[in-house]
Parts: sequence; C-alpha cells; structure tokens
Amino acid sequence: MASDTLIESDLDISQLVDKPWTTIVWDDPVNLMSYVTYVFVKLFGFSQEKAHALMMQVHTEGRAAVSTGSREEMERDVQRLHEHGLWATLQRDDKI
Amino acid sequence: MSAFSRDGGIYSLALSVDEAHILINLVEQLLELLGEGDFNHHYDESDPFAQLMSQLKAAPEEVTAPEDPVLLRLLPNAYADPEAAADFRRYTEPTLRGKKKRILAEVRSGLEVLVDEDHAGVIEDLNPENWLLAINDLRLALSIRLEITPESFDLFETLSDDDPQKPIYAVYFWLGWMQENLLTLLAGG
Repeated sequence: MASDTLIESDLDISQLVDKPWTTIVWDDPVNLMSYVTYVFVKLFGFSQEKAHALMMQVHTEGRAAVSTGSREEMERDVQRLHEHGLWATLQRDDKI
Repeated sequence: MSAFSRDGGIYSLALSVDEAHILINLVEQLLELLGEGDFNHHYDESDPFAQLMSQLKAAPEEVTAPEDPVLLRLLPNAYADPEAAADFRRYTEPTLRGKKKRILAEVRSGLEVLVDEDHAGVIEDLNPENWLLAINDLRLALSIRLEITPESFDLFETLSDDDPQKPIYAVYFWLGWMQENLLTLLAGG
C-alpha cells in the first residue's frame, strides 16, 4: 500500500516535470472540417478516426487539446499548426 | 470550371483565364500584405479584391502583433498572455511569415504563365500540399474581410446578383470548393 502510493506520486512528479504544457486548437468558422482532419493526420500522425474525433471536438466544444509535452515541443506544434492556418495556442496543462 | 486532377503522384489544375486572374490577384495582394512587394503585380488598383485587401498595409519594421486583422489571423498569437505571445512572436514570426510568402510565391509562379499569356490552361505537376496551404490562407484572409460566420453561406444565397459583395463571397466559397476537391484527391492514397 505504502509502496503503491510512492509509485503513484513518483509518476505524478514526472508528469509535472515532463508534460506540463498543452497545445489547444480553437474553433473558427473558416477552416473546413475535412481540412482540419487532414492537418491533424499530417502533423501528428493520428489515425483518421482519432483526427476526426478531435476535429469534431473542436467544432462542437470550441476547442480541443491536441498534444501535450514540454514547452519547446508545444511551441513547435503551435508553430506548425499556424503554418497550416489553424488557430492554436499553448498553455500550462490546466489539469495540474 | 476549375478542377484539380491527379495522375499517379502528379497533380494538375485546370483553370479558365478568369479564374487564373482572380487567383493571381488574390495571391499577389496577400503577398504584399505579408510584406513581399518585389514583383510586377497583375491586378488593377480598381479591382474589388485589391480594394478589399489594401485596407491597411503591413509595416513590418518591428516584430510585434500585427494591427491588420488579416495578418493577425495568419500570424496569430501563440499565448493568451501578451508578454509570452510577444516573446514567441519575436523569435518565430519571421520564419512563419517567410514560409507563407514562399508558398504563395510558388503558387503565383504557377499562375503567371496563364495570366501573362491570357489564356485558359493547366498548371502541371504542382505541389498539392503547398497549394492547399495557399488556398487556405487566401480563404482565411477573405474570411476576415468578409467577416465570415457560420451563417455566411445562407446570407450569400440571399444576396441579389447586383450586390457588390456577391462576387467576393462567390470567390470565397469557390476557394473552399477547390480545397475540398484537392483534399479528396490527397485522401485517395
């Protein structure tokens, strides 16, 4: 029991250190649904199904988290999304 | 009517002369807005797209958030926090701007032959991914000027034929159709 707790808290700490940033894609009325799906597959290597589900989340909820990682990694993802005309920002993971 | 086509890995685009003129005008105006003016432009100052796009010229002396809403849409803030957004922009915006300009210039050179010789024709062996990005940037730019919302298509359908905005909306929706056309080909394996 005690050692289980220790392992869990170790995992949490490593998440805090390694994965504190999130890339968010925001909905806009211009980018085509098929195009957004295409960009998610191209940039993140998602399956068609996962890319479509994330696109639908952007469309219906106004935003979706598309990647998490270090600040540098997320800045790179945001830059690539901007190259493709998607409206993206990065922020500290709000789950922490 | 314009259409992309694909033969194996080779992509082409057939355009009427009017379509080639409309596209090169838009591409050149967006290039200029992004700060690239080093070419002989084809559009006339009285062109409705020229008037639409030139509402404010870019002044990229310093890398700060653009005042022009089209530029702010194409080169958006990466952070909600203004200070972090400004820092990020200082380091990355020239690269982003440069990539967008290179892709638009590539599309422009594909269109140039048709426009200069003033005939319909086919642009052969084009880079489909770059054309997709360029068309998307043109749609984003027009969408800001037209203040596109999810209801815009319904609005467009109710505009009378002599409404001066109607042809501009028509081009916006035509670009979306071209994008779907290209995406379908790209998805074909």
